[in-house]
Amino acid sequence: MMADHAEVTERTVVAELLTFLEERTKSAVTEDQDLFATGAVSSMFAMQLVVHLEEAYDVTIVGGDLKQVNFRTVRAMAELVLRLREAQGVTGGA
Amino acid sequence: MPDALTSARDLVGTLVADRADAWDAAGRLPEDLLRDLGGRGLLCAEVPGSYGGLGAGSRDSGEFTAYVGSLCGSLRSIMTSQGMAAWTVRRLGDQDQRAAYLPRLTSGELAAVGFSEPDAGSDLSAMTTSVRVEDDVVVLDGEKMWVTGACYADLLVVFARSEDDVVVVVVPTATPGVTVERIPDPLGCRAAGHANVRFSSVRLPASAVLGGTGLSLLATTALAYGRISVAWGCVGILRACLNAAVTHARTREQFGKPLARHQLVARHLAELLVSEQVATRACEHASDLWDARSPDLVTAVVLAKHVAAGHAARGAATATQVLASAGAAHGHVVARAYRDAKLMEIIEGSTEICQLILAEHAVATVA
Repeated sequence: MMADHAEVTERTVVAELLTFLEERTKSAVTEDQDLFATGAVSSMFAMQLVVHLEEAYDVTIVGGDLKQVNFRTVRAMAELVLRLREAQGVTGGA
Repeated sequence: MPDALTSARDLVGTLVADRADAWDAAGRLPEDLLRDLGGRGLLCAEVPGSYGGLGAGSRDSGEFTAYVGSLCGSLRSIMTSQGMAAWTVRRLGDQDQRAAYLPRLTSGELAAVGFSEPDAGSDLSAMTTSVRVEDDVVVLDGEKMWVTGACYADLLVVFARSEDDVVVVVVPTATPGVTVERIPDPLGCRAAGHANVRFSSVRLPASAVLGGTGLSLLATTALAYGRISVAWGCVGILRACLNAAVTHARTREQFGKPLARHQLVARHLAELLVSEQVATRACEHASDLWDARSPDLVTAVVLAKHVAAGHAARGAATATQVLASAGAAHGHVVARAYRDAKLMEIIEGSTEICQLILAEHAVATVA
């Protein structure tokens, strides 16, 4: 986990997610890899990703944002996080 | 535990009293009781205060669920359905949908969730219930089976196939084209209002389709609540069974001494205690992860459901053995537990589906 009040950018989110995925799936993934198509993660793991992103970045992922395409790649998740932080007025560090 | 849930235990204890046996025999819960509890927010205690709910955490809500489950498995089933409907709306609904539906679920309206179909049980990807856009409305067609609580429900939360994905639709039961057919004689949770529901060209506003899309994400999200709720319900079953078995074994004498002093019976009591404690710990762990927003909650919830349902089924059989003829009448607490617990090994992911998920997790994570 990053230090408090560290700046959250696409680069930091991508780096943190790659580490999270590697720790949890015991395999290395890349930021543009389709996690579901390549079998890197299970459907159960998709929900773990939702909970992790909400907790780590202080966002709420509900309604129309809760769709698989948003979790398909690390880059897509990073874009989702940054968009929601902007929309939900989250300014603190992760 | 929030004050509201502490005092609610006394209230529910008084309202249920010794009536669960008669409700089981009749196959019906009093609807005014359900609407009363629903109006107090007690059927889905985790809904936030901003939507009229009690804002309980998973652990407190779980302990309350176990308490209700120790009194009446059918009433606890209704709580699981209402809570799962509310959780599904909370997660999958957009802001306007949450504001439209959640206050209804905390003010006395009742809801049920439809997953299974004639040809889609454990494999929900085989579902054929469909929703299509037609001008400015959506049209729902299909059939859902074994929808717990549907006989009482005002709102049905239904998984359906859209043109290019899986979505969830909120359907008022009173909409033309909705037919609710009661399952007359279920094995367990006999008063929980199980029904098969048919949808025939049911026309709904487009706003009835919740925002979230995608089968695995939606089903996993909705079922997570159902699974932890069922797991706590199984803790309730075990507490009721432990209580009944110990009470009986302390007082009933055979061969000149209480049953509890016979070693083979004493072993049953020990194993019942172990079951109750093991199931409780598994549920506490999962709920604590839930309340801490830990990603590990996803697996822990499946594990808790698997552990609690298995122990409840074995524990209920053990308690029935200890009570023997004293517990063999159909509505007796251990006889109800025996029948209800078996269904808990089937509902919200069968034992085998839970095992597949846990095995997949083990293979993926063990270094």
